[in-house]
Formats: sequence, C-alpha cells, structure tokens
Amino acid sequence: MFIQTLVTGLAIGGIYALMAVGYSLVFSILNFSNFAYGSIIMLGAYIGYYVLMHMGVPLALAVLLSIAGAAVLCFVNERMAYSTLRKRNASSLYFMISAMGTSIFLENLVYATIGSRFYAFPEVLTQQNVSFGGVSIGLLDVFAIVFSAIAIYGLHYFLQNSKTGIAIRAASYDMQVCQLNGVNVNKVIGWVFLLAGGLAGISGMFLGMKYMVYPTMGWITNKAYIAAVIGGLGSLPGAVVGGLILGVLETFVSAYVSSVVRDVFSFSLLVVLLLVLPTGLFGKFLEEKV
Amino acid sequence: MRTKWLALVLAVVFAAVVAGCGGSSGGADVIKIGQTVALTGDSSMWGQSEKNALEMEIAKINAKGGVLGKKLQLVAYDNRADATEAVNIAKRLVGEKVVAIIGPAQSGVAIATTSVTEPSKVPFIATTATNPKVTVDDKTGKVRNYAFRTCFIDPFQGTVAAQFAVKDLKAKTAAVIYDVGSDYSAWLGKYFIEEFQKQGGKIIANEAFRTGELDFRAILGKVKGSSPDVLFIPTMQKEAALVMKQAADLGIKAKFLGGDGWGSPDLVTLGGSAVEGSYFVNLASLDDPDIQSFIKEYKEKYKSDPVMPNPVMAIDGLYAIVDALKKTNSTDPAKIAEQLAKTKDLQALSGKLTIDPKTHNPLNKPAVIQEVKGGKFVFKAKFVTQ
Repeated sequence: MFIQTLVTGLAIGGIYALMAVGYSLVFSILNFSNFAYGSIIMLGAYIGYYVLMHMGVPLALAVLLSIAGAAVLCFVNERMAYSTLRKRNASSLYFMISAMGTSIFLENLVYATIGSRFYAFPEVLTQQNVSFGGVSIGLLDVFAIVFSAIAIYGLHYFLQNSKTGIAIRAASYDMQVCQLNGVNVNKVIGWVFLLAGGLAGISGMFLGMKYMVYPTMGWITNKAYIAAVIGGLGSLPGAVVGGLILGVLETFVSAYVSSVVRDVFSFSLLVVLLLVLPTGLFGKFLEEKV
Repeated sequence: MRTKWLALVLAVVFAAVVAGCGGSSGGADVIKIGQTVALTGDSSMWGQSEKNALEMEIAKINAKGGVLGKKLQLVAYDNRADATEAVNIAKRLVGEKVVAIIGPAQSGVAIATTSVTEPSKVPFIATTATNPKVTVDDKTGKVRNYAFRTCFIDPFQGTVAAQFAVKDLKAKTAAVIYDVGSDYSAWLGKYFIEEFQKQGGKIIANEAFRTGELDFRAILGKVKGSSPDVLFIPTMQKEAALVMKQAADLGIKAKFLGGDGWGSPDLVTLGGSAVEGSYFVNLASLDDPDIQSFIKEYKEKYKSDPVMPNPVMAIDGLYAIVDALKKTNSTDPAKIAEQLAKTKDLQALSGKLTIDPKTHNPLNKPAVIQEVKGGKFVFKAKFVTQ
C-alpha cells in the first residue's frame, strides 16, 4: 500500500507540476497569478476531445492540436485581458481581477455553448495498467509523467539557450531595463503566454483522459498554484518539485488519514511554509527567476 | 468630460436594464406555476429535461382549455443546484405570485428553499429531493406545511439497497464511499449502513471524500485490502463513474451498488466497461410500462429520451397542483397547500399518488432496481414501501 500510494501520488504530482510551471512562467514575467489558466486548461481538454472524437485524428495529433489551440487561446487571453493593463502600468491586483473575470467568462461561455455535460475519452487510451510487484500504475500515468518531464525539460532548454529564452529571462529581472536595451517586451510576453498555453494544453489533455472533461475541470489549478508557491513562485525547478511534493503528500493524507482533510492539509501546508520560507523552497529575491 | 459621458451612458444602460426587469407582468387570465430547477451546472442534464417535460405537459393542459378557465404559465428559473441561488429564486417566484413551485431536485437546495416558502405560505413540490428533512423540520419533528415531494425518501432507498445487497447479491460484507459535502450522499450512506447491519451484514469500510474529488485511488487502496462483497457508492453519476473506473483499475472485485443519483445515461459514457454489472435504486425507469406514452411524446418533441427520473417526478407534482387547483377552485397558494396534503389516489404519471398528511411524503411509492447491462439500464425488480 505504501508504494502504491507513492506511485499514485507521483502520477498526480506530475500533472500538478506541469500546471505549476505554466503558472510560474507567467508570474515570473508579470508578477501576477494568472487565474484564467484553469479555464485555458479546460478549453485545451475540450479541443483535444473534439478533434479526437469528432474529426477522428490520431491521439498524438490530438495532443499536438490541443497544445497549439491552448497556446493560441492563452496568447489571445493576454492580448485581450492583460496587455491594455500592462500599457497603463496597472498594479498586479488589477491583472488578477481581470484574470478572474476571464476565468468566469470562459467557464460560463462553455456552459452556454457546449453545455454542462461530462465527456470521457475512449477507454482504449486509459484502461491499460502496468503492474510490478503488486503495484499498478496506469499506462496513461507513465506516459503523462514522461511527457511532462520532456515538456518541462524542453522549456528549460529553450529558456537557457535560445535568444527568445534569454530575452524572457532578462524581462523577468527587470522589464524596464530590458526594454531600454532594445528587447521587444511585447513580443517576449507573447512568447511566454504561448509557452504557458502549450503546457496548459498538455495538462488539459492528461486531466481529461485521466478523469473526464467538463466545464469546471480548471479548478484543479488551485492545487497547481499552491504547488508553484511551495516551490517558489517564478522558479521552474521549484514548480516541478512543489508539484511532486504536493501530489505525494496529498495522496498519503487521503490514504492514511482521510480524503476529507486533504485540502485542509494542503492549504495549511501552504500557510506554514510561507511563514517559514516566504519565497517558497526555491524562491529567490531579485536573482534569476526563471 | 469623458467620465461624465461614461457616467451618463452607464446610468442610461442601468435604467434600461431595471425597466426591462420590471416589465414582465402576467395578465390575470393566467395561473403561474413556478419552477426552481438547475439549468446550468453539474445537475443541468436532469434540470433541462425536467423543464422540457413540464412545458410539454402544460401546453397539453392549455390546449384542452387550461384549469379553472385560465391558461397555465410555467415560470422557470435556474437555481444552479446552489442553495443560495435557490433562496433568491424562491423569493422571486413568490414575488411573481405563483400558486405553487415545482422543484428543487436536490435535498440541500430544497431544505434551503423552505426558509422562503414557509413564511410566505407558498407550497413547493420537490421532484427528487429524497432527504427526510425536506418536508419535516428535524428540530421540532413537525411537518413543514408548504413542503411536499413526489419521490420516496432516503431511508427507504437505503433500506431497499441494503436488502437487495443481502438478499439478491448475497453480500456479507460491504464498503461505503460517500460525498461528505452532500446531504443526499451522507444520509443515504448512513441509512444503507444501518439496514445492512440490521440484516446481519458487516460494514468493513466507510470512507468519505469531498465534493469535487477526482482521484479516489488513495481511498480505494484501503478498500481493496479488506475486499468487500459490495461497494455502495451513494453519489451522483460523475463521482460514481470515476470511483468504479478507478476501482476496476485497482482490481477491486466487489459488486457496485448505488442510489438514484446514478440514473443518467452519462454513467455508462463516463464509466465505460467498469460500470457493467452494477446495480442502483431508482425512482422510475425508462422501461416502466406505465410511462411509455409520455416517453414517446417527449422523444417526438425533443428528439431525445427524457433524463430520468426528474421529468416524471415533476409531472407528478404538476398533476398534484392541477388537482388542488380544481378541488379548491382557488389560486390562493395557502389553500393549494392545504389541499395538496389531502392528495389521495390521484392518477399521476408514475402511478397512484397519495400524500401522507403527517410527513408530506408520497405513500406506497415503488422503487425500481436497475442493472447496467450492455451499456443500458435494465429493469431488475420493483420494491414497494409499507
């Protein structure tokens, strides 16, 4: 049971990590929590479900289309809801309010157009298990963990080595100075939202396959947000570690205490950690954030 | 200057909106019947079907000349299955002078609604709210004068499920997984446990989860260790499907059993092969011979099957209201409520409807046991309350 719980926890933590990275990316540049992220994840899942079930594209392509779709949506979200605020130098509080508004708007848009039905992906994708020594893990979970790891590492590589990546890291230090040195900040921020949206697409697909697709599925991002804070907002390795820690701890609380106190525990952990380490595990003041 | 303009525009818009809201006044030649129902959110599948059925039925009554020489008019508002929203809507319906209200469908929402209906003396008839506290105030033990229902209650449903588990499924041990945030789920689980133990069975696990939970593997890991004969899951179809799917993934061999919250075609699309061979208690069934003509009409009009059992329960409520209107020859909600309590042997859609004046629950309401077979709900047995 102990090992099984650990494996289950890691599978959940992997998806938390993926979402937390998307959160942290946006936070590191604009210093606000993008609460609309959950809705983008939800829409990514709907896109993936639609192209797979109604257009008959193969699964790999459906995942890619879901990534692309969510990336574009995330980009449009920035251009419509945040860029005006940015140009007026609004405080991050207004960004958050705008993000919440976007989130509620998108959720209700889905209710009003697609409706509130739940959708499940075909079983072929989700029913295979790998068992070893009495511990079973879904093939989908294995795939999700591997794919998440590749995606996160790819992002890391991109940020470290490409010109755009360097610009993003520079902007996360100091937007003004970065602009003075001739970096097109608009473009950089566009990139950040595209990347975060891509991660949202992957998370949405995996969440949809693991559980189901429905309008409020984006609420799980509250957990990703905690994971990002535990790891240190703005730090990508922190987001990954925070996600895994949170997933494993939650599963252990559910298994050995009660699933009812799980969220009490998660949020208490957050508060206690912030009291001890205000910037999270990997948080840094004015150092390299991404 | 710009802000001045903006303020002016906003003021105009606001005034227009307010005027628009107050502009709906029904004539005196209609009788308004209220409906509080979830048209959005997780329960909207049933809610929309419920509203469709009522609209269809009211159109039929109106085509025959209405009631008391007046046309019936349905005033339906979306309560999102949310208790706070339902209170606001009940106030709105009372303000619109409805003679009675049909709905809500959820126990928690219905209990919240009583806080408005009791003082304003407007009766409501809950459709599928099965918790005893809906019609009887548990603090005083007195019946609520303006709360009624057309469905059986949870103790009965839990009893049926437990007896079925012991007698038909030959279960000796059972585990329960319930939603701690739902009155329906927690009480149904409790009643099942009481009856199951009374029948000589043993409860080996009783696990709670929070509303909105997606991953039950941690809880199921515990259940798996004690390998029960039956896993009772008194939840809505979404959670039930997820629990069964994940239980199957973990290789749990128990028979799955549930309550009327499962009764949606969704259960099969979401749960897939994992829900095959599971059983649940329901209020009405699509293959009940008594309601075939209604189903046929509904299908012709809306191009889909009604989502059971809400539409049937709502129409039972509508018949009871129409019957009370005729017998009292009045549109005073308080008089309607008095008459509703006296409803006896009324030919409703699901069978004969008799309201128990002591509890405002229907008497002798049959329960249906359905089995999931080949992705369809198959009629298995009928139980009748004593």
